[in-house]
Amino acid sequence: MSKRLIYLFGIAGHPETSPAMRAVEDAGWEIVVPSVPGFDGMPGFQPRDEYLDWLTTYWDSIDATGAATADAPCPIVGASVGAMFAAEVAALRPEIVTGVALLAPFGIADATNPGFNIYGTPSGERMGHLFAKGVPDAFASRFAHLGAQEAPVASYLSDVAAANILWPLGDRGTAKRLHRVTTPRLTLWGDLDEVNPVTNAAAWGGAQVIAGAGHLLEWDAPEQVSTALLGFLNSLAR
Amino acid sequence: MKMMWFHLMPYPNLPDDFNINHRSVWVDIDPALFDRDVMAETYDTYIDQLVYAEDCGFDGICVNEHHNNGYGLMPSPNLIAAILANRTSRAAITVLGNSVALYNPPLRVAEEFAMLDLFSRGRLIAGFPVGTAMDTTHSYGINPGTLRPRYYEGIELIMKAWQSTEPFAFNGRFNQQRYVNPVPRPWQKPHPPVWIPGGGSVETWDFCAENDFVYGALTYYGYKMVRETVAGYWSRVEAHGRDDNPHRLAVTQFIGVADTDAEAYKLYREPAEYFFNRSLHVYPGFTDAPGYVTEGSVRARYNSQVRQVARNKQAKHDLTWDEMVDNGYVVIGGPDTVREQLEEAATELRIGHLCAMLQFGNMNDELTRYNTNLFGEKVAPGLRTLFSEYDDPWWPENAL
Repeated sequence: MSKRLIYLFGIAGHPETSPAMRAVEDAGWEIVVPSVPGFDGMPGFQPRDEYLDWLTTYWDSIDATGAATADAPCPIVGASVGAMFAAEVAALRPEIVTGVALLAPFGIADATNPGFNIYGTPSGERMGHLFAKGVPDAFASRFAHLGAQEAPVASYLSDVAAANILWPLGDRGTAKRLHRVTTPRLTLWGDLDEVNPVTNAAAWGGAQVIAGAGHLLEWDAPEQVSTALLGFLNSLAR
Repeated sequence: MKMMWFHLMPYPNLPDDFNINHRSVWVDIDPALFDRDVMAETYDTYIDQLVYAEDCGFDGICVNEHHNNGYGLMPSPNLIAAILANRTSRAAITVLGNSVALYNPPLRVAEEFAMLDLFSRGRLIAGFPVGTAMDTTHSYGINPGTLRPRYYEGIELIMKAWQSTEPFAFNGRFNQQRYVNPVPRPWQKPHPPVWIPGGGSVETWDFCAENDFVYGALTYYGYKMVRETVAGYWSRVEAHGRDDNPHRLAVTQFIGVADTDAEAYKLYREPAEYFFNRSLHVYPGFTDAPGYVTEGSVRARYNSQVRQVARNKQAKHDLTWDEMVDNGYVVIGGPDTVREQLEEAATELRIGHLCAMLQFGNMNDELTRYNTNLFGEKVAPGLRTLFSEYDDPWWPENAL
């Protein structure tokens, strides 16, 4: 079996490969990252009208890579927003997925514990609430290469894409489709996740909780996350 | 120039330490701050003040829509306007307005505005604001990325519904109705005048110019701070080949009139400080939402009025009374002083409709009526002839 996987990045985009995913790569896995419109902060992004439009956008992005097909299915690893769509794809297109690893997936919300409102806080403070161990340089300067004038605009536009998917950080109805995920599944969650509290893991059938990690746990706890991911991925490859 | 009396209807009893011990006047304000007896009496008082404004000769009376806040107590301005339509006979009933994207379907706005136009026998001005981020995205949960297309589509539906002579089907991106056929349709034909309140968005300027709607520059910071916005609007009016009729523009202004400049300085300090330091104490995280500002506007105007004040307050917490006066946030003085400032502002900015805010903050009823009466008697007559050489096709048919 080919050691190739699809990786769907999280709420703050994909400035560079995370330490956890680099470890997976170092272990011989080819990581294919579909390009999802909006998260790159480039001008001209048009928000989608509804959730179904985003779901088909992700499908199209995955299909455009040619990395996951019915003839050659592969695992999908998703983080945060990406984990939500990884679960959706596993539920609705099981023929292209051999297994799904979900890192703090959005999609099922609990009104009694909604978590920190990342979009109800000033833009300059948002990033700090996604990590438990400080904002990595890759995110702190994610659009710095565009220059002082354009960087804040690109940052804003990237947030537009994620917010357009998640607003108002409520339930996306994923629970209604979760029973369709019949492929092997791994769910990881940081116990210090502010924006998507670990208490939500119960609705996903439980999770392996990573101590000391925030929402983007692959950055906060690379060793634990990569170890768990490799154990899961290698079990699929056998 | 026509003069309107604009009521924000603020809650008048926010505690003295509100801006120290409370996070925000909007969105997540503590509901325990609101006393039901005060609320009920406040509505009575404020409605009476709006009626009194007509008695004092104002051409129009204005109400607007806000949610989850102590800044303005009108989640439904149409309810207030219905009372005003019944209790007044001459003034334009100006609803600035209904945030179209919050209504599902937006046809509800077409219906209620048509009722108001009938109640008032053709005195309605129909306002369609996008609505603040606090109201629309944070309080009502509307997706910021789709707020504006929903808004524009809603207005398209309303305008078509008002003017159609037969039922029609509507298949929009967000609204689908097999039979659009509102009963009633408005008194005014083809429709009531449409005013679009805005905060400086480039798209809104173009929208008004393209559709021949009035642009309402709703500012808390007075004519001096709104110069740039107004200049941007007029440049877009010209770019669209429209004339420069001043009645294309409405501007809000806090005003405090007294017998003398010194008396005005003394009288209006407390209500102004209350407004700027309590009623506008908005948590910066609520003043925007990703997608609320379009890509074009995020470059052109990264700082909106509300966001700016939030930042100012973050930096220094309180605006001083002298800052408010010196910067023109509040125009105060004796009748001649106020008239001269407003005439200068109207002439420079080409303001055909002045939305005068003569009650603000915790201003009590006695002072509000004193202010309103003095303005009507001693300030308005000197301003009324401004731009009288221009027609005003954006004025309601039966408002005198």
